[in-house]
Amino acid sequence: MQRYFVAMRAMIARNLINMRRYIFNTISGLVTMYIVFMLLFLGIRGIGGAALAGGTTLEGLIVSYLLWVLSISAYSDLAWDLNQEAQVGTLEQLYISPIGFNWLNAFNLISGLGLSFVFSGVLLVVMMLTTGKYLSVDLISVLPLMIASLLGVYGIGFAMGGLALVFKRIQAFFQIFQFVFVAFLALPLDRFPWAQFLPLTMGGHLLRQVMIHGTRLWELPATSLAVLALTGICYLALGLITFEWSARIAKRKGLLGHY
Amino acid sequence: MSMLEIKNLRKTFASKKQKVVAVDDVSFTVQAGEMVGLLGPNGAGKTTIIKSVLGIVEPDSGTISVKGFDPSRQPKQLLSHTAAVLEGSRNIYWRLSVWENICFFAGIHGISVAVGKSYFEHLLTTFNLKEKRDSEVRLLSQGMKQKVAICCALAKQTSLVFLDEPTLGLDVETSYELRDALKDLVQNEQRTVVVSSHDMDVIQDVCQRAIIVSNGRVIADEKISDLLALFESRTFKLVVDGAHHPELLSELNQMVLPVSSSTNDRQLILKVNLPTARDLYALIDLLREHGAELETINQEAPDLEKVFVNLVRKERERCNGTL
Ligand SMILES: Nc1ncnc2c1ncn2[C@@H]1O[C@H](COP(=O)(O)OP(=O)(O)O)[C@@H](O)[C@H]1O
Ligand SMILES: [Mg+2]
Repeated sequence: MQRYFVAMRAMIARNLINMRRYIFNTISGLVTMYIVFMLLFLGIRGIGGAALAGGTTLEGLIVSYLLWVLSISAYSDLAWDLNQEAQVGTLEQLYISPIGFNWLNAFNLISGLGLSFVFSGVLLVVMMLTTGKYLSVDLISVLPLMIASLLGVYGIGFAMGGLALVFKRIQAFFQIFQFVFVAFLALPLDRFPWAQFLPLTMGGHLLRQVMIHGTRLWELPATSLAVLALTGICYLALGLITFEWSARIAKRKGLLGHY
Repeated sequence: MSMLEIKNLRKTFASKKQKVVAVDDVSFTVQAGEMVGLLGPNGAGKTTIIKSVLGIVEPDSGTISVKGFDPSRQPKQLLSHTAAVLEGSRNIYWRLSVWENICFFAGIHGISVAVGKSYFEHLLTTFNLKEKRDSEVRLLSQGMKQKVAICCALAKQTSLVFLDEPTLGLDVETSYELRDALKDLVQNEQRTVVVSSHDMDVIQDVCQRAIIVSNGRVIADEKISDLLALFESRTFKLVVDGAHHPELLSELNQMVLPVSSSTNDRQLILKVNLPTARDLYALIDLLREHGAELETINQEAPDLEKVFVNLVRKERERCNGTL
């Protein structure tokens, strides 16, 4: 037990050191995110006022953007970083830890999520301050919804990250998902009810209700919450299965290192 | 119980077009406390053998055990006794400092900084890295990077350590420094180390035993001293004063012993194969009869390089013959 705790601390320390040492990258990433957001915000305000297609409001934009930023960070922790480690040859070292790769990876993802909550929190405050649109940030309602929304994203990340270990070319498709996530978040549920089973769509929908209208978590429709949780768990499970399958093939073909 | 036991290991890599038999029925055993060399030319299968033990390559068949643990059924127990530096990859994070790397890799082995600190410092001293403790690894030379990777593996304090081509790409000086540190380590700690290399010099220098691999097969598994004795050459080189000894040469040629001779302006140099001591005495008598003064006599020193080249060539011939 103690060993797992030590390994978790090592993983967190690694991520913190990287973040601090490359603080300039971290900050410039945040600034870019902010600038892209402001362009979107000003553009949308310019063309159409408050009510846009599918009931998207400027407040809604802030919520969706926030969730999108969290999504691409969670996704790249898996798909991108993992294959980077395979290429330079540190992934094999993680695989020969007696703690087990899956635990190490979980520690990595959890600490990554913690960090990106902090940064997106900063981003949220700045977005609210500069746009003058203030949202309800009831953490008890918001955090569980965000985490549940991200389960599907982690599922996709596991699947893509795993597949790319075996089929290196898949890396070319990594970026596409950043745009796919936008689509998932933008689909209006009232017009496309089937979209509730996609990753992120139901999460985005519920999160907008909570953050814009101040609805509490327990006041949301139970069926919607169930759909959110169950689809999230399904996508995550599918992703994990794909990943495990890929890792087995990679071991058979000797591809965990860069051959 | 032995530290490492490999029996009938086989691994084939199949790609679209071709099938490569990387490891072909390999068996060997390593006892606790041994420092063993896995010697073989590039592509012999050394890395694949090591990765199979670690469970990051899945073998086709065969059994592997580290202290009785099997890599596919008890990976965590096996890995808790094992550490490795693998060939051709970074093994460590270039963006972290030397110290941060050591703490991280010991950490994911379950060893906290508080527990390991004094040993980590000892490693830095042994490997001459103290001054670079807080430098980012990406700023260090190739040799230093390699030393840091080795420290990270050793920091886990496992009983079994694999070092896959530890001196590859290092300059001579760093290579010697590294070898000395490794020899120190085995002397002072009860570690079992498997060093792979395509460079016989390294193995001859640091190991007591060599397992020679070629084309995925073990072609020799002997103590280094026995390997050398096996191929100990019976060829002597004699240098005789004065270049001109026609009768001597003609008489030598009548002896059944194979002789090659050459001259420079003031000496005759003979290379003679003398299977027994009696042949040597006979030759010396012959020289005295002809009044030829013997300046020096040397037995050609055997070295592992020759042994290795010979064995590998024979194995290649055998393979080609059966194809
Ligand atoms: N992942 C892989 N896919 C296909 N072939 C491989 C792979 N890894 C190694 N090989 C092949 O297997 C043989 C043995 O390789 P390796 O174990 O790396 O040898 P060594 O470490 O002795 O140089 C070589 O012919 C090599 O090309
Ligand atoms: Mg190799």
